[in-house]
Amino acid sequence: MSRRRHKAERRWRGVAVSDGAASGRVLRIHSGGRHSIYRVSLEGAELEREVRRYRAAVRLARRQLLVLKKRAARTLGEEHAYIFDAHLLMLEDRKLNEDVEAVIRGEGVGSEWAVKVVTDRLLAVYEEIKDDYLRERSSDIEDVTRRLLVALSGESTGGRRLTEDAVVVAEELMPSTLAEMDFTHVRAVATDVGGWTSHTAIIARGLGIPAVVGLRDFYRAARTGDSAVIDAGSGEVILHPTAGTLERFGAARRAAREVADARPQPAAEDLRAPLRTRDGVEVTLRANVELPVEYEWVNRYGARGIGLFRSEFLLSHGGAMPGEEGQRAAYEELARVAGDEGVTVRLFDLGGDKLPALRSDAGEERNPALGLRAIRFCLSRPELLRTQARAVLRAAARGRVDVVIPMVSDLSDVRRTRAVFEEERDRLGAQGVDAGRVRFGAMIEVPSAVLVAERLAREVDFFSLGTNDLVQYTLAVDRGNDEVAGWFRSLHPAVLLSVRRALDAARAGGIPAVVCGEMAASPAYAAVLLGLGARELSMAPPSIPRVRRTIAGLEQAEAAEIAGACLECGDADEVEELVRVRLGGRWPNLFPPEILPPPKSRG
Amino acid sequence: MVESRVRIVNRLGLHARAAAKLVRAAGAFSSTLRLERADRGAVADAKSILSVLMLAAARGTELLITAEGPDERAALDALCRLVGSGFGEEEE
Repeated sequence: MSRRRHKAERRWRGVAVSDGAASGRVLRIHSGGRHSIYRVSLEGAELEREVRRYRAAVRLARRQLLVLKKRAARTLGEEHAYIFDAHLLMLEDRKLNEDVEAVIRGEGVGSEWAVKVVTDRLLAVYEEIKDDYLRERSSDIEDVTRRLLVALSGESTGGRRLTEDAVVVAEELMPSTLAEMDFTHVRAVATDVGGWTSHTAIIARGLGIPAVVGLRDFYRAARTGDSAVIDAGSGEVILHPTAGTLERFGAARRAAREVADARPQPAAEDLRAPLRTRDGVEVTLRANVELPVEYEWVNRYGARGIGLFRSEFLLSHGGAMPGEEGQRAAYEELARVAGDEGVTVRLFDLGGDKLPALRSDAGEERNPALGLRAIRFCLSRPELLRTQARAVLRAAARGRVDVVIPMVSDLSDVRRTRAVFEEERDRLGAQGVDAGRVRFGAMIEVPSAVLVAERLAREVDFFSLGTNDLVQYTLAVDRGNDEVAGWFRSLHPAVLLSVRRALDAARAGGIPAVVCGEMAASPAYAAVLLGLGARELSMAPPSIPRVRRTIAGLEQAEAAEIAGACLECGDADEVEELVRVRLGGRWPNLFPPEILPPPKSRG
Repeated sequence: MVESRVRIVNRLGLHARAAAKLVRAAGAFSSTLRLERADRGAVADAKSILSVLMLAAARGTELLITAEGPDERAALDALCRLVGSGFGEEEE
């Protein structure tokens, strides 16, 4: 009999739909639609009692959904709460309820069986639908069915009380299952099906929970209580990790937990004071935000405005974009939250691979990372860009709103985007609608932008360095591909040289540059960035206190000296070793071993 | 009884959110409201979301909306406006 700790480590690869990494004990969640339903025969007066029992279950399910809808609207935003409105309408649906009651009375069966008969019939009709997107909606019917069956069983669905932190594992998570859980106890999510735009993915991103989906057969292999590691950075899931594997994930896990921890910091006053290094260099920390649940973090963690709002997070379930009015309201709210420092809205940074709903004629791209995405996608869908431009310009009349253009590869991307904004400004003017002043920034994340950074700096108002993509494109390494994971190195000298070059170009052009990728949120990397010349960093708000403490405790001149030495290194291993030894040696209290790159065990 | 033809213009078609909006709108009127696919005669009760979803009306589908009852004109206008506006969703 093998004990749990003797089980062999096994690995899966799926689609990472959020960031971070976590390890913990598995909690398997049984998906809906797979309950065992038995046919119970009833007769006479029992039948009317059964109909009343069914109606009571509908009322109970309805009350739960009303609560859920309110909660989703509050934590995730109105545009994500609509799904529960559709569920409510399904529960209230005359056709559903009449059919179920007719089956109870006509066949003399219990409610559970009647619900199953009727919904199976509905689902069968859905299976026939040709349109992929509409057919997918059958998951909503399954979700409502599950809720009804649970209500009939007398259990409460809210009974999924997580009393300790867990890695939630399911074949498929219904939107309402995740929305109902106590998020503070969900360390990570792993499911066999699902995709980037699934509702579960959106919620996981909104709450900063590491999530990997599309694992195909992980659910079958995992048992509640098993140890597992979920790495939403690489899309990897490890079951029965060895002690060595757990150790390697230790640092990432701690970081992820810190990000998930949204409790107020006691020293809020200190968080608002200007931040300076020990040798007096001022550094500005801004917030990256995505969903409304994070907006209040901007002030709570003392961020100086919002350095990056990824506007594609306004996408609703299934990839519909809000209209001009919806976007304007969202940007105005962000500007209000951000205060004097304002919000930087990144134009939609998506391609067809992430937007099945907008993928029209082109079909599958062979190489989406190099394909029609980010600003290229926006420019090829003029109405999408024009709507966003109008919404931004109108919001800018009420608060400070700037835009940053994703994946700029040369000046023409900037000029064409500006032209669209200018045309929309004129059009708004002609309509008597107020339009505010907007500054334009360029995301520096592809090598061509780095190489012409001096020229870009003459035509834009600021730079944003997206380090995640910069690593991917500079090193030509697909971050989702396991086979080349060993080549994805943030501390590669080529990446550092690119960062340095972009920062120098910004300084020469007299414009600010903000570094807003994952690197900025890690103390060791932040120190290197500071040494390379960065003066503005933008990160997930919960990371701010940690980075703040680090920067306040070091000397910029020495960080610059260390960064200079990094630039001379031959490869990423040398840089990591140098960072480990020099940062850990100079400021041991700021850089304990677990937050530094691990020493290389050369074999 | 009054009727009118409209075309689904939003890219996602008559999906869950659009259907929810339509059913909510229809529920505000006392008239009987029917949707019929012009191409193959499938009929739906506009006040039932399951029935509406079953039409599987993708973008470009033509619908015949019929309204019958005391507020039929207002009801028909409201539904036509909603469908014609693409349910207020973004288009590109």
